[in-house]
Amino acid sequence: MISLSFLLFFYLLGQVLGPYNQGQLNVVLIYFIAILSLVILTGYSGQISLGQGALMAVGGYVCAITITNFLVPSLLAIAIAVLGSLLVGLILGLSAARLSGPYLAGATLVLSLAIPSLAIRFESVLKGDVGIQLYLSEPPSWLTRVLGTIDFDEWNYVFTLPFAAIVLFFVINLTRSKYGRNWSAIRDRPIAAALSGINVERTRIYAFVLSSGIAGLAGALYGFRGVVGPSVYPTALSLALLTGAVIGGVRHISGALIGAGLVVFLPDLINWFSNRFQLSQNVSDYLPAFIGAVLLILTVILNPSGIAGGAHHHRAESHK
Amino acid sequence: MDTFLSVLFLSLSKGAIYGVVAFGLVMVWRGSGILNFAQMGQAMFTTYIASNLIINGQSYWIAAIIAIVLGGLLGATIQQLVMRPIEAMSSKSKTSDIEAIFAIVPIVATLGLLALFQSVAGMIWAGEERGFPAPVSTFGILVGEDILPFSAFDIFTIGVLAVVLVITVLFFRMTNMGLAMRAAALSPEVARLNGVRVDRVKTLGWVISGALASLAGVLVTPTANLSPNTLDLVLIIGFTAAVIGGIESLPGAILGGVIIGTLVNVISVYIDPENVFVSILIVLFLVLLVRPQGIVGTKAGRLA
Repeated sequence: MISLSFLLFFYLLGQVLGPYNQGQLNVVLIYFIAILSLVILTGYSGQISLGQGALMAVGGYVCAITITNFLVPSLLAIAIAVLGSLLVGLILGLSAARLSGPYLAGATLVLSLAIPSLAIRFESVLKGDVGIQLYLSEPPSWLTRVLGTIDFDEWNYVFTLPFAAIVLFFVINLTRSKYGRNWSAIRDRPIAAALSGINVERTRIYAFVLSSGIAGLAGALYGFRGVVGPSVYPTALSLALLTGAVIGGVRHISGALIGAGLVVFLPDLINWFSNRFQLSQNVSDYLPAFIGAVLLILTVILNPSGIAGGAHHHRAESHK
Repeated sequence: MDTFLSVLFLSLSKGAIYGVVAFGLVMVWRGSGILNFAQMGQAMFTTYIASNLIINGQSYWIAAIIAIVLGGLLGATIQQLVMRPIEAMSSKSKTSDIEAIFAIVPIVATLGLLALFQSVAGMIWAGEERGFPAPVSTFGILVGEDILPFSAFDIFTIGVLAVVLVITVLFFRMTNMGLAMRAAALSPEVARLNGVRVDRVKTLGWVISGALASLAGVLVTPTANLSPNTLDLVLIIGFTAAVIGGIESLPGAILGGVIIGTLVNVISVYIDPENVFVSILIVLFLVLLVRPQGIVGTKAGRLA
């Protein structure tokens, strides 16, 4: 139900706003999916990843390679991309599940930093710095009959929307399932959870695999905006996603949406601000990063459960 | 001299720098249980300040010393302003919701600090790359007709770091403060009961780590240029060195630094500099999978 209203709301929002905003809303939805993968991984199972952008890259590259080399339809390529990132997630998860916070953080950070080198190292397949072009195939005729002619940005947006709704549906149900409870249990009290018969290692790996799959999906959708290459999935993307997740509230699904909105619109807002007040080039170049960093630090010091988490608390207290 | 021997010697100078970076990481990790991703951001910032001093006519030595002192102060400031409030909140919070987030909060905080340093440096210094001077020549030493691949600066680096290492070892072995630090790292509660001011010891760890990082920054930049992001790679290599050495062990950190320095150097000389990152990734994952306690570490501390 939530997912359906989500779908409808964002479709109408896209209609109200123009094509430029649809391009941006598309990115919001993709980041929403990517941050949901962090909600599962970090918020629920308590593992940290600074390499979520690298897992997105896996999805993007698999999708681009299958489409360019085997000319499969977009949907099938996305399915293969998700499978590919699930597999990479399994390999990473096998090592990650044994590692505690800082080691995992460092290892995933190195992974995301290594993407450009990997793209150059395997240039024949991954096409180095330039990357691989990737576009959605033409919208199907039944859709154009329903919605009228669809331009590039709108088609991307309309294409992403159902995926976001499906992932939302999936994550809501997942967090309410046995697995969601198990993750919370091993995150809060690992020893007690193990004594209650939860296989801690396997549960952690499971979270990592699912999270990778979702990130891979986000990465494939991200790639469909035109190109899949190292510059599309920089380390800054991984860190921006984590920043969005933490500021929004990493334990909360609504926090993922808040975070995604912040990551996309905050830089715009700041750019508008620096143009308005004619700040110098240096300052306006680095102002978005600066404000993001300050917000992140203030969040972890003052309100570590994030915007959504903070609201949650106030509500809980007012009920008393 | 044989090329291979020269490469090894060069590895020692680079490895010593990575070792010092790893040493700083391990120091904070043992004292506060935090992996400080901002460490080389601090170093980048102080190196920029030193560079400005030199441009304005200050001598190299004074600028370098100011950078190192500022590095220590910066470490103390971060610990007091950011890490202490976080620790205080995590120890008093009761709800599982917040408690869970505290597993990741220190890491996220250090990443935020790294971004803060980089963006502020970008605003002030425009993100331009600039060189950083060395006190002695960074060109290969001339012996007869041959140019050796290592320079007077490499010898200088090894000399400085050897002296620093000896001082640190003496500090830990011979002074009461060093003993207090070791005690606090081993068992904070017992140390506290025996009159060690654990909080103060923690701060000292951040000070030493910050100062060492700044020293590493001053020693790396003459051959690597200075920009807001230059030292990220050094941090990653330093982290890998710390992991190789077993993140609990200070001598292990130095050893890990020399090992990874040799590896990076041999790969960039004999194979291809482009492969360095991929090989670090491979080494890191191999160590984490095969010998997660590192070559020196004995505890299975990093296993969840």
